[in-house]
Amino acid sequence: MQTLYVSLALFLLLNLIVGMWRVLRGPTAADRMLTAQLFGTTSVAVMLLLAQATDKPALHDVALVFALLAAVTAVTFVRRVWGDRETKHDTH
Amino acid sequence: MSRLSSKSWLNDLMNIHFRIAWFRVVAFAFMWVMLTEGSVNSWLVGAPIVLVATLISMVLVSPFSCSVIHSVRFVPFFIWNSLRGGANVAWCALNPKIPIAPGLIDFPLRLPPGISRVFMANTVSLLPGTLSVNLGKNHLKVHVLDTRKNVLSELMTLEKIVAKMFNISLHDGKGDECNENIL
Amino acid sequence: MTLINVLSSILLFTGGAFFLAGTLGLLRFPDVYTRLHALTKADNVGLGMVVAGLAVQAQSWVIVGKLLLIWAFVMLASATTSHLIARRALQRGIKPWKR
Repeated sequence: MQTLYVSLALFLLLNLIVGMWRVLRGPTAADRMLTAQLFGTTSVAVMLLLAQATDKPALHDVALVFALLAAVTAVTFVRRVWGDRETKHDTH
Repeated sequence: MSRLSSKSWLNDLMNIHFRIAWFRVVAFAFMWVMLTEGSVNSWLVGAPIVLVATLISMVLVSPFSCSVIHSVRFVPFFIWNSLRGGANVAWCALNPKIPIAPGLIDFPLRLPPGISRVFMANTVSLLPGTLSVNLGKNHLKVHVLDTRKNVLSELMTLEKIVAKMFNISLHDGKGDECNENIL
Repeated sequence: MTLINVLSSILLFTGGAFFLAGTLGLLRFPDVYTRLHALTKADNVGLGMVVAGLAVQAQSWVIVGKLLLIWAFVMLASATTSHLIARRALQRGIKPWKR
């Protein structure tokens, strides 16, 4: 089972690297941001797998922090970085 | 007479609030047990945090009523439908022709403003073929992956289930069961 | 014990397949909205499968609860995130792709 965990974790990491192609291509900022969401979910899965493979339950907490960071990053991006121009014309 | 009734009304309200606060304390405590994997020492930090979390949640999320039975029933429905959604989108991604015909639709909401609408908007994104784009005043703008399918009836079913979860009765022109109550 | 291992392996493999499908959708789908569809749905099912595969192996119920809690939290976060991204994309006038 140990090999399965580690190889699946490696496969997911490879998945992430392939997903980086979307960052390079764009074409809009939103498309680039999607990869952050990919990272959020995939890195949680990788951490959970590594926690089981190395028998270190503390990595579960790392997974939680990753999930939290992904959410905060996306919200910050949408509210502050990507929306600057529009917020001036917004009604609220 | 009127003063007495208003006082009992206030009493009822306080009771409801206390019940909900207790419910949230239990929920947060349960979450803390999960997060710390049942460590006893951690309660030195955990007890104040559970209390603060409850206080903050009472301020930020105003108390709402929620049916336990229907919430439990929602879980298999949700798991089955998100599996269907995942399989559907995976099939589209693997298919060389990418068989999609996306489009935007406006779904007229019968749920009242508040937590139930937010819950619905979040659930829509995880169900097959739909993605919530904008939560308007009375409409939920939904992006549909395949407009050839009948998404509206699925959304109506979901709305009914969410309404049951939050103890809301849907009455509007569309539902014919509650119209006579207005007169 | 071996039966649990087999079940766990099947779940983990399926999860990996869903993650692969999500990434493929991210690369192949034509616009932001459809890519969001692929990512949120496929990746959440993928993570769910991985969580289920690990949960059947877990030593205690508390671990199972923690894994499920992490899954629920990631789902909530990604549903909210995808809604925010899609809404802002529409506000900025990114037109949905039409066949």
